[in-house]
Amino acid sequence: MATSEALAAGTKVETAGSRSRGDVVFYTVLALCAAAFLITLHVIFFKAPVESTMGIVQKIFYFHVPIAYSMYVGAAVCFVGSAGYLARGTRGWDALARAGAECAVAMGVLVLVTGALWGAKAWGVYWTWDPRLTTALLSVLIYVAYVVLRAFAGDGDSERKFAAALGVLGAANLPIIHYSVQKWGGNHPKVITSGGGGLKHPDMKLALMLGFLTFTLLAVVLIWTRVRIELAASRLSEAEEEALELGVGEE
Amino acid sequence: MSANQAAQQAPGAAGQGTADDRSTTFRAVEGGNQMQSGEKLLVEAYAFIWIVVLVFVASMFRRQRRLDRRVETLEAALQKARAKSGGD
Repeated sequence: MATSEALAAGTKVETAGSRSRGDVVFYTVLALCAAAFLITLHVIFFKAPVESTMGIVQKIFYFHVPIAYSMYVGAAVCFVGSAGYLARGTRGWDALARAGAECAVAMGVLVLVTGALWGAKAWGVYWTWDPRLTTALLSVLIYVAYVVLRAFAGDGDSERKFAAALGVLGAANLPIIHYSVQKWGGNHPKVITSGGGGLKHPDMKLALMLGFLTFTLLAVVLIWTRVRIELAASRLSEAEEEALELGVGEE
Repeated sequence: MSANQAAQQAPGAAGQGTADDRSTTFRAVEGGNQMQSGEKLLVEAYAFIWIVVLVFVASMFRRQRRLDRRVETLEAALQKARAKSGGD
């Protein structure tokens, strides 16, 4: 009896310890993300030179491309979480998939809007049915469908499995977005290439690199926060069910 | 003709006319990307980024608050039940 109590106490201490360690890491990443935002904004607006033909509107690029990358990160997390849920069926994988999909939607909307604003200056139109734009829109709609499904179709096992299948299949479009410009041409610029890319000034490269770092950290923070909330919600609903079974009602 | 006169009479950029034209008439740009101010588009893009990120963070904050309220309600109900079973 005493041993089991001591064991239980030990487990509690260990859980609280690992949770507080997790909190420290989380708040460190959050602080790094905030600092990275400030430094990136400084470099973009005060260090990186204005582009010679496009002018100041080219500075949208330093956030637009990293946001697109963060959308890929969210979608990849959704794929991993969905595959994990289909394989293991645990709530942790499901929470990861849901968090990834929500991040992909937020970043996808940002990519489409910032790209359209850049296009208004570069092409004279906000939207054109370019292969990359069209495939990116398709991907955003897939993740919007995932989020809407999770929000309105209930939280049963079959709904979670259906959403997980969507999360796995939705990822198939990601390489198509990436290679669409190379395979089908179109208007979308090809500034970032394997041969060094089209950024001719070191401060332009620095601004883009910082943008990538900032939005990677932001995606991590958003996904992590969302997973924590989702896991807490599922633990709470389990506790509520248990309380109801024990005859403890909420007033 | 002096260099100065030549510069005044030389046609300007496409659709802008000569220096004399510019001093007497103002013509609006019609169509194309010159209709858009790059500065305005840049501000719109960055403002939109901040709005979406803030809305996303606010929605998570709201979910967390709702969750905290449910935990408090459940804890209160459990305490009441414990007190009742202790009294019996």
